[in-house]
Amino acid sequence: MPGDATTTCWSCGDMRAAHFCSSCGKVQPPAPVDYFTFFGLPRKLNLDTAALEVEFYELSRRLHPDVYGRADSKEQHWSLEKSSQLNDAYRILKDPIRRTEYLLRLEGIELEEQSKTATEKARNTGELKKQIVPPELLEEVFNLNMELQELRTQRQMGEDDPALIEELGRQKLELERKFEALSKELRTYWDEWDQAVENGNDQERRKVRDKMVDLLNRRNYIRNLVRDVNEGLET
Amino acid sequence: MAYSDKVLDHYSNPRNVGSMDKNSRDVGTGLVGAPECGDVMKLQIKVNPQTSVIEDAKFKTFGCGSAIASSSLATEWVKGKTIDEALQIKNTEIVQELSLPPVKIHCSVLAEDAIRAAIHDWKKKNGTTEKTAAPAEAKASP
Repeated sequence: MPGDATTTCWSCGDMRAAHFCSSCGKVQPPAPVDYFTFFGLPRKLNLDTAALEVEFYELSRRLHPDVYGRADSKEQHWSLEKSSQLNDAYRILKDPIRRTEYLLRLEGIELEEQSKTATEKARNTGELKKQIVPPELLEEVFNLNMELQELRTQRQMGEDDPALIEELGRQKLELERKFEALSKELRTYWDEWDQAVENGNDQERRKVRDKMVDLLNRRNYIRNLVRDVNEGLET
Repeated sequence: MAYSDKVLDHYSNPRNVGSMDKNSRDVGTGLVGAPECGDVMKLQIKVNPQTSVIEDAKFKTFGCGSAIASSSLATEWVKGKTIDEALQIKNTEIVQELSLPPVKIHCSVLAEDAIRAAIHDWKKKNGTTEKTAAPAEAKASP
């Protein structure tokens, strides 16, 4: 059954209920909960998406506004609101990357805020700010962008350098391999995260959280880069 | 989103685009990136070793208009300053000068980071003592 029971039913006042009263079956008012809680899931990253899908369809069916055509306006309104909450929750949780990013936000990660604070610290202490993106990757991103720019310039002049195109194609494959490797690596962090949650180990939890932030940052870069190369290679 | 006139000016007419020999002893290179948007920014300075004055600055940025404008402005500002003066430049001053909206503040942060990284690189090459900081590493500590 979905969700931990949180309140008593508004209608029969009997059982504690999540989406529907477990006693009289009436729909319950929407609560401002996170998406994991909405589905009654722990804040873990390994997730049975097949089971989630089943749950989603089941709730979709039961929450569908059509079902409440003759219910009172309060229930109609709730079913609408909860349906939209359900759709959002499912869209985010079923996707491995979105799920991870969402969880990191829940865990209080604000990338931009962090970056700004680190810059201020560097200014005050005179220490060099640790860059989130490793220098080798930055170097690669930079060089690839230079090559892409060259390709564009050549195209504008009506020329095509087959060697350059081949080189970009090769680098694209390399990037895609890296991208794949990062996705695999992320899954090992999921395991570490879930373990830390289970053990209630907050220190470990923060450590894994930071590793995931780091990895997603690198992944973003590579994703954008592959996109740019694809655009550049299109004729 | 509407860019301010100053951003547009720097964007369509960027100052000091180019590169310098990164192996030269007088040149400091800063290469930084903003993972939020995938921007990458390279800023280089040429420093007079006697006076510590930044005599020339070049940049090349792949990113949005605000990132380009921020780095263009940064090269203008560091030129003629000593490295100590250049280290005083704050990202908020760039925000003000370019009227950057809140969503583009990270572009100005990037420009400040680039200045610092370039100066750090120059200092390292020239053996100027400086507090050692954690090296930028690919992975967080195991």
